[in-house]
Order: sequence, then C-alpha cells, then structure tokens
Amino acid sequence: MKYADWPLSAPVNLTWEITHRCNLRCVHCLSASSRESPGELSFEECRAIVDQLAELEVFEINFGGGEPLLKDFFLPLLRYIHEKEIVTCVSTNGTALTDEAVACFAEGPLVNVQVSLDGATPEVNDRIRGEGTFHRIIRGIERLAGRNIPLSINTVVTSLNFTQLSELKGLAASYGARLRVSRFRPSGRARDSWETLRLKAAQLRELADWLSGDPTILTGDSFFSISQDGRRQLGLDMCGAGKMTACIDPVGGVYPCAFMQDGEFRGGSLKKTAFRDIWDNSPAFNFFRGLEPASCRQCPRFKKCRGGCPAVAYFVSRDLNRADPECLVNWSRDIAATSPVENRPYII
Amino acid sequence: MTRLADDVRVRKESWGLLFYVRARHRVCFVRSGDWLYPRHFDGTWTLDGIVEDITRRTGTPAEIIERSLPGLTGHLAASRMISDEVR
Repeated sequence: MKYADWPLSAPVNLTWEITHRCNLRCVHCLSASSRESPGELSFEECRAIVDQLAELEVFEINFGGGEPLLKDFFLPLLRYIHEKEIVTCVSTNGTALTDEAVACFAEGPLVNVQVSLDGATPEVNDRIRGEGTFHRIIRGIERLAGRNIPLSINTVVTSLNFTQLSELKGLAASYGARLRVSRFRPSGRARDSWETLRLKAAQLRELADWLSGDPTILTGDSFFSISQDGRRQLGLDMCGAGKMTACIDPVGGVYPCAFMQDGEFRGGSLKKTAFRDIWDNSPAFNFFRGLEPASCRQCPRFKKCRGGCPAVAYFVSRDLNRADPECLVNWSRDIAATSPVENRPYII
Repeated sequence: MTRLADDVRVRKESWGLLFYVRARHRVCFVRSGDWLYPRHFDGTWTLDGIVEDITRRTGTPAEIIERSLPGLTGHLAASRMISDEVR
C-alpha cells in the first residue's frame, strides 16, 4: 500500500477557488472564470469554513479562482487563516496587486505567492493570457520580488510555451523566484483549446527529460504519471484527489480535485454539510479513493502511478476507466510507433 | 527533550502521525499507531517519559518500546522533523 492510500482524517492541503471573478480570460482557465457566480460564499461563511479546517488540522490552503485578489474580503480572510496557523499559497495573475496586498504578503510568514505567467515573451504569454498581460504580470512580479515573500512563477506547459521553459526558469530566478510548471488539462475553457495547445508525444518526452535533469523545477501536481522515476520521487507519486487533497468552489461546493468539478463529482455543499462529513462520507470522495482505471491494470507501471491523472483521462474520453492519455507509457508507445528502431528504447 | 522542528507541524491519524514540513510543502507518514501523539513533541517530554506513557496507555512492555523508539525518533531527527535543540 502506498503512503497516499493511508486514510487521512482530513486533507493535507486543499484548493479553494474563492471567486469566479477574474479580470483576465485565459484560454486555458481550468474554471472558465470571468464573473462572480451567484451565491458565492460570504466572509462569515468563509470564516466558519476556516474554523472547521483549523479544527481538522488541515495544513495548507491554496487559493485560486478566479483572481483571489478581486474578492473584496480576501486579505482579511487570509489574515484570519494565518491566525489559525494554516499555511496558504495564493495563486494570482499578478495584475490586481494592491499596496495592501503586497504588504499583507510581506508581513505574513505563512503565505506563499505564485504568479501565473505563460510565456517568457509577450508574443507567447499574451496568446494565452490576453493582449498586454505580459508586461502587467512582470510589473506585478517586480512589486513582489525582494520582499522576502516566498515567490514562484507558475507556467501551464503548452505547445506554445514549451520551448521557453528554460527562459522562464531564468526569468523567475532573476526575481528570486522558482519556476513551477503545471500540466495543461482539458477542464474549463481549456476544453476548447486542448487539441491545439496540448503537448505531442515527443514534447512530453523532452519535458520529462528536462524535469529529470533539473530537480529545482517545482511540479505541483500530476506529473508523476508523465515523468520518469527520479522525478516522481520528488513529490506525490499518485493522484491525491480525495485522499490528500480536495477543492472548495466559490459557492461552497466540495470536490476531490480542482480539475474535477463536474456535478457528478461534487461531494456536497459547505452551506449544508460539514466538511468532515463530506470528507468522510460522500460517495464522490469514496469513489476516487478506490479508483483504479481498468485499462491500466495490466500495465507494468500500474503499481507506480495507478493510472495517472483521472482529470485528463475523463475530459478526453469521458471514461474514468481509461488511462491518463499523456502518461509515460502512452507517450513512449506513440514515439516508438513513429520512430526509427534505433531511437525507440525508452524507460517504462 | 524532543520537540517539533521549526516550521514543522504534526497531527494524529488512525495509523500514526502525519508530519508536514512547511518550507518544502512535504509530508512524512509515520506508522506509529497509538504509541505517539503530537504532544510528545511539545518540548516537555524525555524519551524515558514517552516510553513510560506508551506503556501506561497501551500495556506494551517497556523493553519492546525501548528497542523501537530510539530508531524511530532518530529517523525523525535525521529527517529534520524533530529536534533536540532548546529554543
């Protein structure tokens, strides 16, 4: 049994999409954010949820959205969470920073800030995040840099920015930040851009090699199934949805993963049910804890990855019994099928 | 005296203790069952005191605990989860 299979009384960390409101319209947005949703949680409701999470000893809350800084009570909420000694990570697009936000981050020893940037040049970034955003994001990063705020730049790897990853790493380093890369997954608006922006097999192989050679690159989630063993050992090595992590949406819905927010995966609503009850008893969470894709069970790597990222499999095939289509075995097979024999050998 | 290292938190789980290292955003699973509790790392317990506490609560003979516990705490110290340093 893997460590991640050991039952937890509460998540290690959770993603909290605090609002759907966003000032950008990124083509790959996992939650298709634009405007505030009707019925988004109030400050008092959020505080009550934090009280529950503190009692459950959740270690870390990762805020996203939407743009969290556009939520009017976000900074007071952040301070309240830090009073409870819960670590936070704020994922921001960097364009809505205020002096108060920068000061709040600088004074809060429990906060980590992650700024999204999807290219090392305006030509690439702005195709994904919108015209003029590159320079606005860089100005935001400049405001955060040098203030002793744990800072990272997050890039969702797509076919557009794939060749700029080393430049992005250098750019992050120039601001005292680390580069974190995320997988491009076909949820939210990314469903429409999946075919054009997803990585091809050869690119996935190159990415896996690059990651293997550079342990300083952060990979937050779901790289275990597309990477080689050395890289997998740096972090979680199987899907943590419903086991180690969960997601709260802006109206209080709870899901096993931020990338699995279809209605059928909804564990419950925090407006009606306590978080512990959802975590312990909801069918959606129990389903994910036992998920073992049928098509992977004969695979020699099954014990290592358990089928990879269900979100990619589900949104590509609408079938949770299928393998992660970008897993190491799949991309190796694709390369082998199209390459000369002398180029074929690869690790499985 | 043994205490949690700086920036490390711990909580009790049914199978043991779950440590969380803030700086690395990493967790460490320790299958200690009902032997250890987070309070054992609040800086007020000696190893002998922990052995005595486990014996009293679980009925496990002290010599069995004494054979296992130093290895476990040594591993936690080597992993920088706990520390003997006085704050």
